[in-house]
Amino acid sequence: MRLRLLAATMAGVGIVGAGVLARQQPAPRVIHITAERFSFTPSEIAVRAGEEVELRIESEDTAHGFHLVDTEVSAVVPKRGKGEVSVRFKPEGPGRYVFECNRMCGAGHDFMRGVLIVTEPVDAESR
Amino acid sequence: MFKTTNRHHLALTAAAILLCPAVSLGQTAPTSDAAASHTGPLSGYMDFHFNKDEAQDGVVDFHRFVLLFNHSFSSRIRFVGELEIEHAFVEGLEESGEVELEQAYIDFLITRGFNLRAGMVLVPLGIINERHEPPVYNGVERPFVDTVIIPTTWFDAGAGLHGELRHGFRYRAYVMAPLNSLEFTAAEGIRHGPQKGSRANVRNVAFTGRLEYLGVRGLVLGAGGWRGKSTFALPRLDTTVSVGEVDARYRRKRLELRGQFARVGISDAANLNDAVGRLTGVSPNVAEGLQGFYGEAAYRIRDQGSPRDLVGFVRYENFDTQHRMPAGFLPLKEFDRDAWVFGVTYYPDPDVAVKVDYVRQRNQSPILKAPNSFNIGLGWWF
Repeated sequence: MRLRLLAATMAGVGIVGAGVLARQQPAPRVIHITAERFSFTPSEIAVRAGEEVELRIESEDTAHGFHLVDTEVSAVVPKRGKGEVSVRFKPEGPGRYVFECNRMCGAGHDFMRGVLIVTEPVDAESR
Repeated sequence: MFKTTNRHHLALTAAAILLCPAVSLGQTAPTSDAAASHTGPLSGYMDFHFNKDEAQDGVVDFHRFVLLFNHSFSSRIRFVGELEIEHAFVEGLEESGEVELEQAYIDFLITRGFNLRAGMVLVPLGIINERHEPPVYNGVERPFVDTVIIPTTWFDAGAGLHGELRHGFRYRAYVMAPLNSLEFTAAEGIRHGPQKGSRANVRNVAFTGRLEYLGVRGLVLGAGGWRGKSTFALPRLDTTVSVGEVDARYRRKRLELRGQFARVGISDAANLNDAVGRLTGVSPNVAEGLQGFYGEAAYRIRDQGSPRDLVGFVRYENFDTQHRMPAGFLPLKEFDRDAWVFGVTYYPDPDVAVKVDYVRQRNQSPILKAPNSFNIGLGWWF
């Protein structure tokens, strides 16, 4: 009986704890990106400032790179069928940030670019 | 962990840059070999073939050995070079092989929509010319239309602009060295016309451009053109070459479809034939109109990731390098051709393609028969 009570209490604490965590850390907005010679799709991504975003990037062919120009943000997108790479971030202020493939992928490598457009946060717009 | 950086007004606070943990996100984590796979300043591709034409001996050919070099002077100024050895062996004045500088340009990346490129550049026409690494197309050899109508790999000295516009559109626009019309032939059209950036005559220049739409996942639509006066060797001629093409690629799940239509116009072809005939004793019988198109359907028969990755495909091509003749010249019907290409591509790795195909070719000549062929190829990118 005591054992059951303890288990029930622990389960309750676990559920409440998970709920608190869920409120404190809302799930990021997930955006799927496909990389292939020589483009990202979509290549234009709009997000809100303050919004936590997770880019999940998957390749349709060879390994590519994902690099936010003029930053240290860089990741290798694995080859087709080898999984995907996830890039999480929370933009603080509005702006336009170019991203590109930074892993040589063929004759048109330099065409492989896109833009991340960060707009005003929802709160700022409603004011 | 990625730290915040404020350089260039960037205010991203990245929570993490990580390879996705498989457990928490329920995804396939990248395998260690994939994560470790990098290219440095040197990369390239190779193409190794066995070709057996009907009624002829089989041939083994190390068709292409290509090295790509790249260097970033800064994040906005970059160099790319592509050096190719074709058919493995090069000997002076022989046709056994050739060394070609297919690309050697510098990009000045200014904005997303406006960038400058100068040097040896690829002509932005068709599906294959700018996207010709062996694992990205089906078939041991490139499509016929991308050989005798659009002469891939078509490159020359030039300079111009490229960039990405809004809503999924992007463009290239270059000024380039013109073609040399003395090299045109009945069988292969303008294929031997490019001056390849070798002391190229630019008394007249050519203009080329391409517009692409990539706004829908899996779909690429493209249209390109090329136009230039091509008679510097015989200035009294007025031979202007115009090339126009439209192409499309669409991929959904296991299916991939491709199609392309291309047309070449050669003005003053009659006088060109007469002039070359007087020079060499043989008229090249160059047409004033060349035309070709193809459609391809490919299906991923096994789609479990390499090494269990197999694609089957069928392609129909129709190509005529004597499509419209100038007055006084008859078309050579053996060059009005079509072909069915059936084959499979097996990927032991996404960058390695083992290809097998059979080509059933026909022409309109009552005398000369186009040979069918069986081909095996091994191509890779690194």
